[in-house]
Amino acid sequence: MAAAFKGRREDRRLVSGGGRYTADWNLPGQLHAAFLRSDRPHARIVAIDAQAALAAPGVVAVLTGEDTLAEGIRNAPPMLPYPGRGGQPIKLPPRSVLATGRVSHIGQEVAMVVATTALAAADAVERISIEYSDLPAVIDAEAALAPGAPLAHPEVPGNVCFDFDYGDEARVKEIFAGAARITRVKLDSQRICGVPMEPKACLASYDAQQGVYDFWSSTQGITMMRGSVAGYGIAPDKVRPRAQDVGGGFGIRSGAYPEYIAVMIAAKKTGRPVKWVGSRSETFVSDHHGRAIRLSGELAMDEDGHFLAARYEWVCNQGAFPSGPGPLINTVTPKLTPNGVYRIPAVYGRNRLVLTNTTPITAYRGAGRPDAAYLLERLVEEAARESGIDRVELRRRNLIPKDAFPYTTPTQSAYDSGDYEALLDEVLARSDWEGFEARRAEARARGRLRGIGCAVFLEPAGGAGPKDQAMLKFGSSGEMTLYSVTGPSGQGHETVFPEVVGRELGVPPELITLRASDPDGPPLDGFGTVGSRSMGAHGGAALLAAREVVRKGLELAAKELEVAAQDLEFAGGRFRVKGTDRSLALVELARRHAGKGAVHPLDATADNAAGATFPSGAHVAEVEIDPRTGAVEVARYTGVDDCGVVVNHTLVEGQVQGGIVQGAGQVLGEHCVFDEGGQLLTGSFMDYAMPHAGLIGELRLYDHPVPSPRNPLGVKGVGESGTTGSLPTLMNAILDALRPAGVRQLDMPATPARVWAALRAAAGARQPPRG
Amino acid sequence: MYPLTYARARTLSEARELLAKHDEARLLAGGMTLIPTLKARLAAPSLLVDIGQVQELQGIEAKGDRLVIGAGTRYVDIARSALVKRMIPALAYLVSRVGDPQVRNRGTMGGSVANNDPVADSPAAVLALGATVRTERREIAADEYFKGLFETALAPGEIITGFSFPVPARAAYWKFAHPASGYAMAGAFVADFGGAVRVAVTGASSSGVYRWKEAEDALGRRFAPAALDALEVSPDGMSSDIHGSADYRANLVQVMARRAVDAIAAGR
Repeated sequence: MAAAFKGRREDRRLVSGGGRYTADWNLPGQLHAAFLRSDRPHARIVAIDAQAALAAPGVVAVLTGEDTLAEGIRNAPPMLPYPGRGGQPIKLPPRSVLATGRVSHIGQEVAMVVATTALAAADAVERISIEYSDLPAVIDAEAALAPGAPLAHPEVPGNVCFDFDYGDEARVKEIFAGAARITRVKLDSQRICGVPMEPKACLASYDAQQGVYDFWSSTQGITMMRGSVAGYGIAPDKVRPRAQDVGGGFGIRSGAYPEYIAVMIAAKKTGRPVKWVGSRSETFVSDHHGRAIRLSGELAMDEDGHFLAARYEWVCNQGAFPSGPGPLINTVTPKLTPNGVYRIPAVYGRNRLVLTNTTPITAYRGAGRPDAAYLLERLVEEAARESGIDRVELRRRNLIPKDAFPYTTPTQSAYDSGDYEALLDEVLARSDWEGFEARRAEARARGRLRGIGCAVFLEPAGGAGPKDQAMLKFGSSGEMTLYSVTGPSGQGHETVFPEVVGRELGVPPELITLRASDPDGPPLDGFGTVGSRSMGAHGGAALLAAREVVRKGLELAAKELEVAAQDLEFAGGRFRVKGTDRSLALVELARRHAGKGAVHPLDATADNAAGATFPSGAHVAEVEIDPRTGAVEVARYTGVDDCGVVVNHTLVEGQVQGGIVQGAGQVLGEHCVFDEGGQLLTGSFMDYAMPHAGLIGELRLYDHPVPSPRNPLGVKGVGESGTTGSLPTLMNAILDALRPAGVRQLDMPATPARVWAALRAAAGARQPPRG
Repeated sequence: MYPLTYARARTLSEARELLAKHDEARLLAGGMTLIPTLKARLAAPSLLVDIGQVQELQGIEAKGDRLVIGAGTRYVDIARSALVKRMIPALAYLVSRVGDPQVRNRGTMGGSVANNDPVADSPAAVLALGATVRTERREIAADEYFKGLFETALAPGEIITGFSFPVPARAAYWKFAHPASGYAMAGAFVADFGGAVRVAVTGASSSGVYRWKEAEDALGRRFAPAALDALEVSPDGMSSDIHGSADYRANLVQVMARRAVDAIAAGR
C-alpha cells in the first residue's frame, strides 16, 4: 500500500515566501533596463532620437537595433529540422533583438534604456522620440492569405512562411470521392496569452576576463536556455544560465526572448550587471502567445460508420516572427497523431504557417495537441449527429483495439501502448452517462439547458532530445543529492524525483534532495521541462542512476562483507548475503566511504534515452447554460486518464486538474484579441478573462494506467493531457446543451455574450420575423 | 508610477487644506482605482492626499429612520455590518459582490461613488435607494449627483463624507459580473418604498448609472416579476465591446432587473 502523501516538499518554501524568482536576484552595482516598445503594428522607423533620454538623470546607455547588430547578434532560427511541402525551407523575415528599419507588431522591442534605477530607466524611455511611417498591417491569418493582402514582411510573399503537409493526399482524395458520408467542421483555436504569475524578467552580468555571461531568468531548463541564447549567436559555453523557481512555464518560458539578449549586451557594454523586470502590461503584449489556429477538418465514413479517411487544414497565425518552437508545434505535433485514438486508414494534412503583424506564437500548454484533439473529436461528434449513429457507439466502433500496439499511424508514428475502450467504458460508468437524460430534464424544469459531452483522445509526449542524464552524489552521512537539468515550474519534481530514487534504493525520499538546473552542479546533458517529458526522461534517468548506485554498491558491499558480489542481493535498502541474515545498509555503506575524496565511490551518473509516449484519456463534462444570460457553468467533469505507471497520484492529479482548468480557460473565456488596427484589446486582467478556482463544480479524476515500454519507469507524459482533453470535452458538452435550442456551431471562447448571441440567432432562424 | 508626494491627512480639514494648496493633488481613499491608474502612468498627480485614516469619514450608524455610512468605510466593514444587514440587506449584499476580498478589504463606497465608473456597483445602490450624498460643504440628492461617465456633481476639491440612505420596505441587487474584470456587465438595484419603486441600472449604459423609469412605473403599478416582461430595453446607448454587444447588455438589464424582483418576491 502506498504511504500517505505528505505534501510537496517544495510547498513550504513556495507558500512561505521562500521561493526565489527572477526579480528576487540582485547583484552589486546593477543597472536597470526599460524598453521602448512599438505602439503600432507595422511601420517604417524613420528616425530614433535618443539624445533627450541619454541626457536624463541616471541614464547610462540607450541601445537600439544597430547596437545589437554591431554585437554580431543574429536572427534566432526556429527549431525546424525538416523542409516543408515540395522540399521548401521556412522563409524567415529578418529579425533583430531591437527593431531595425521596421516595427512588425505592437509591443515589439525598439530601444532599451539602461539607468541607475528602474524608475529613471522608465522615465527616460518616454523621452526617446521616434518617427514612424505607417505601413499597411495584416492581423488575421486567413485575411493574410487573401490575394493582395498587405505583407507582414516584404521578404515573405503571400505571408506564408512555411507550407507543410503530411500523409497521402492522392489516396485520401480518392477515398473521399467514393465515401458514403463526409463530415466537415471549421473551428477556431483562438489566440491566448500564457499569463504566468511571474512576469518576464532577467538579470545579466558579464565577466570580461572569461567572456562569459551569467544570466538569470525564469526558464523551463538551463540547457534549453543555453541553446536558445546560442541561436542568437552567443556561444553556449559563453553563457551560464541560472534559475531557481519559475512562476509559470506553460511553454512560454522555454526560450530566450529578445529582451534577454538586449540585457546581456547591455551588461557587456556597460560593464555592470543589468536587471530588467517587465510589467504585467509588457507580459501581456510581448510574452509570446499561444494557439491562434484556424482548424478545418473532413472525415469520410462508410455506411456503417467506419472511418475511412481524414483530411485537415490548419492555418496557423505565427505572429510577426516564427518563434523557436512555433513552427515545430504546428507541423510535427499534429502529424504524430493524425488519427487520434481511432483507426483511420488514410490521412492528409496541410498546415500553413502565416506571418501577421501580431505578437509571435509559441508553445503553450498542449502546443498543437489540444488543437488536434479538438478538431478530431469535434469531427467525430458531428459525424455522429449527421449519421444518426450514437456518439459513444461511433467512437467505440472505430477505436484502436488494445491488442494493436505498438500501433503505427498512417504517418509512421508508433503509439506505445493504450486501452482506449477501457478508458471509455470507465468514464461512462463513473460519469453516469446513462443517467444523464434525467439530469437534463431536471435542469430544463429549472430553465437551464444541460448538456453532456465526451472526448476520447491521446497526445504525443516526451521523446525530444537524444538523452537525458541524472547524477546521484553522496554526502557525508549517506544523504544524496540528485542532479538533473530539468526546469520545474510547479510539477513537483523536488518531491517526486527523490521518491523514484528512494523507492529504488529502499531509503526514505527525504534522504535525497533534488538540485535542478544547478549551474554549479556537474555538467549534465538533457533537455528541459517541455512536451510533458520530464518524468519519462529525467525521472527515468534518476531511476537508472539509482540502479547504478546499487550496481556499484554490490561491488563495494561485497568487499565489506567479504563475499563475492554475486552472493549478494539488494532489497529494502540493504545488501544481504543470500540465504543469511548478514547484511549491510546502503546508507551505512555510503557513510563508511564518505569523505575519502571528491568523488564518492557510490556516486553514479546515468543516461536515459526515453522515447515518445502517447498518454490518452476519456473525459466527460456536463454543463448547464442559462439561456437568458448565456452563462455556462461546468457542473461536473470526470476524467479517466492513462499516463502510464503512476509514481505519485497526487501530483498526477494536480497536473491533470491544472491542465483541464487551463483548457477550460480557453473554452470559456480566455481570448487575446487584436483589433483590425493591430492594437491589443485584451492587455490587462480587466479584459482578459482568466479561469477562476470555482470554474468547475465537481471534478473527479481516475488513473487507468497502461505502462509504456518507452522509458524505465513505464510512465507517459501528463503535463498537458488535461488541456488536450478538456477542449473537445467541454465544447462537445456545450454544443450538446445548445443543440435542442437549434445551435449547431459555436467557436471558443464560449463566453456568455457569444452563447446568448448564438441562441438568439438560432431562435430567430426558427421563427419568421414578426410583421 | 511617476514620482509623487504622498501625504496622510489626519482630519478632514487637513485634507481640505492640502487639496487647496496643490493644483494637481488627488484624494486617495481605498486606492482600488487610483493606484492601478498611477502604476500604469495614466495619471500624474503632484500630491496624493490619503484620507484612508480620517476618522470623520468612518462609521456606520442608524440616524432616525436612515442608515448613514461614512464615505471612507471599507466595503468589508459594510458587508459584515449587522446594522446594514438588518436595515438594508440588499446593500450589504451588493457590497459583498464588489471585486474580490482584496478589493473589499481596501476599497470604499466613497471612492467608488466619487469616481462614478459606469460599471461600478455602488452607484446603483446610491441611486436606487435615493440616498443623499454628503460632502464637507453640502448635501446632494442622488438624482442630482450622477452626471454621466465618470462625471458627478462634485465641485473640484469637494470631498464626499458619507451617504444617508432611506430604508426601503424591500430591495434587491442582481448583477451579471463581467467575465474578466468582475465589474457589472449589467446590475439592477430594485428598491420598493411601499408603492414608490426605484430601479437603478449600472454596468450596461455607456453613460453610466441611470434610473429605469419604465420599470419603476410598471413595478409601482404591480410589484411582480411579470410586470417587467412587457418592457423592451432598447440597445441604444448601451455599451458595446468585445465582451458583449449593446443588444446583449440591453437583454441583461431586463434579466437582472427581473431577477432582482424575483428575489424580492421570493423573500430572498
